[in-house]
Amino acid sequence: MARKKSIADRFADWLPRLVLAPSLLAVIVGVYLFIAWTGWISVSSSKMVPQYDFVGLEQYYRLWATPRWHTAVANLFIFSALFLAVTIAVGLIMAILLDQNIRAEGALRAVYLYPMALSFIVTGTAWKWILNPNLGIQKVVNGLGWESFVFNWITQPDFAIYTIVIAAVWQSSGFAMAIFLAGLRGIDNSVIKAAQIEGASLPRIYASIIVPMLRPAFLSVIVLLSYISIKNFDLVLAMTNGGPGSATEVPSTFMFSSVFRRNQMGVGAASAIMMLMTVAAIIIPYLYSELKEGRDGH
Amino acid sequence: MRKLSSALIASTLALAAALPVHAETKIEVLHHWVSESEVAALNTIREALATKGYGWQDSAVGGMSGGNMQQALRSRLAAGNPPGAMQFIGWEGIDWSKEGVMRDLNDLDKANGWQATIAPQVLPFVKNGDDLIAVPINMHRQNWVWANKAAFDKAGIEQPKTWADLIADGDKLRAAGIIPLAIGDEPWQIQVVFDALVSDIGGPDFYRKALVDLDPEALNSDTMKQVFDTLRQVRGLVDDGFNGRDWAVATGMVIDGQAAMQVMGDWAKGEFLAKGLKPGSDFLCFATPSETPSFQFVIDSFGVFKVSDPEVSKAQVALAEVVMDPKVQHDFNLIKGSIPARTDLGVDDFDDCAKKGFEERATAIENNAMLGGATHGFAAQPQFSAVFSDVAAQFFVNEMSSEDAMQLLVDGIDNAR
Repeated sequence: MARKKSIADRFADWLPRLVLAPSLLAVIVGVYLFIAWTGWISVSSSKMVPQYDFVGLEQYYRLWATPRWHTAVANLFIFSALFLAVTIAVGLIMAILLDQNIRAEGALRAVYLYPMALSFIVTGTAWKWILNPNLGIQKVVNGLGWESFVFNWITQPDFAIYTIVIAAVWQSSGFAMAIFLAGLRGIDNSVIKAAQIEGASLPRIYASIIVPMLRPAFLSVIVLLSYISIKNFDLVLAMTNGGPGSATEVPSTFMFSSVFRRNQMGVGAASAIMMLMTVAAIIIPYLYSELKEGRDGH
Repeated sequence: MRKLSSALIASTLALAAALPVHAETKIEVLHHWVSESEVAALNTIREALATKGYGWQDSAVGGMSGGNMQQALRSRLAAGNPPGAMQFIGWEGIDWSKEGVMRDLNDLDKANGWQATIAPQVLPFVKNGDDLIAVPINMHRQNWVWANKAAFDKAGIEQPKTWADLIADGDKLRAAGIIPLAIGDEPWQIQVVFDALVSDIGGPDFYRKALVDLDPEALNSDTMKQVFDTLRQVRGLVDDGFNGRDWAVATGMVIDGQAAMQVMGDWAKGEFLAKGLKPGSDFLCFATPSETPSFQFVIDSFGVFKVSDPEVSKAQVALAEVVMDPKVQHDFNLIKGSIPARTDLGVDDFDDCAKKGFEERATAIENNAMLGGATHGFAAQPQFSAVFSDVAAQFFVNEMSSEDAMQLLVDGIDNAR
């Protein structure tokens, strides 16, 4: 078959590349080029506007000598760890319970999923009021007669970050539930039946068979929640605006205020690069192991 | 090749012909005034500009205390498309001028004698070297106390003469079931109190040494310790629900008598006036109490960018003239709640608080007690001023000793250099 390829055939060969080219270009310029640019700024003396000189790691020294940055990093870890653990636990339990062929499942699912339809700004503002000791929970409980009840975490610098976790879990656990539920529905009933015939109890079936089978769902949930927790910015801004003091500062709010409010573009860029490194250090090995196993398995 | 170039020329010509011809030149002004009274005040400038035959193209970027506007400006400048003019706070105008993007207004200044009408302490914020690069429209005072008269009467207290009095009054107010001081936990609101304390306790010279010159000795002095000790006592005047409270919400607490006082700039006055309250009989306004009273100013100014369009360039001149026009300054400030930046105007038809501010400014200029409000960027550069707000706010909400706070100040300033 030495027939020359027709133009249409060639076009068909090139079509996928042609179609992908614009988005590839957009990603290269919009993401990787700007990562490189940020890296460059982070080793320059940039203050108010970009300077294209080289000062070595001075901005990084400066960054790590800033107490606010230490708070921000600690908060990122506290927030991410708690947010992921609690959201996954709550989402999984809700999904398992909903999966028990209960009545009005559709309606309940919508109820749990609904918070996800709100923006973090709305969630943050609502929770700011709910947690305010003079307006929200504390006032209601006090009004019911329990006068000594105190729930003023949002005003306590040591506890404020946990209130942000509460709001974020409230918003995202329905989403985790939806993914887990989809995973549960995808599991073949015969597996469960077989285990039941073998005499395994229901908790045992879930712990040893079903949850391990949800691995792909876990992967999606973990990746999506991690990136929510790293880009967490609007929620903090709406709820505490980094306060009280700078107790709930997170790296993203630190970066914004460095660059746009404090004329410290170099420090801001250095903090952005630190964030990128942290994310890469956690996500890349995880993705690598997950994807590698997936390839080996098939 | 020739074909191509002639085609290019033809299409360029077609494009040029297709460009719409503007009947009226518009000048784009980037600012962060979005609240009702701010917009109403801006309208006086807009109308005066219209009588000169120029249009005002509004480019308001609200939010983040101007942080969002700075972001917008950076991208505009990076794209080589600066707006015609911009509202500046603090060192912003000077900083941009040093980047070489601002147009100077020296000719206009010489022709109109503007500099003589501006308080000398304000000039550093509108002049880069010998060049006048911005024109100030208004002047706010940052160190006011706003008080509810009825609350004072109920607790049986008078206007405090010192911070010690004010703090002692707290007990009487609490006994009367009133929160002594309304404030939010936003760092800048706490810094307003801090700024006031620095000059009220240390005097204007100490303020300049500590907040402008950033002298480590001043930052680590007994006077500074006294400032923090007093700030700790002020913390005791505040209620529990101060997290995330907007300044206007705090003002509202004073208006409805829930709280007795607020330390805030005179933008708070608009809230009282909007509720129909009268200064003197319904609410009190007085400078933060001190034996060494100061006037901590905050100005808004307009600067113009270098542009290539000659029509816009003419519109920039018109805008500058309008901003410095005595009548515009008068009308603008009557609405905005501030006082005119020009010191040569009468304020007879302003409210009593504005008159008081106007008089005290004249005294402060004489006594060299005119100070830039550090919170709003009129002392040190933002990277330093932010250290003060960080430390003051952390100190205010945490259990922290005054010594630790001073050490944080010294280290923080050092690190930001």
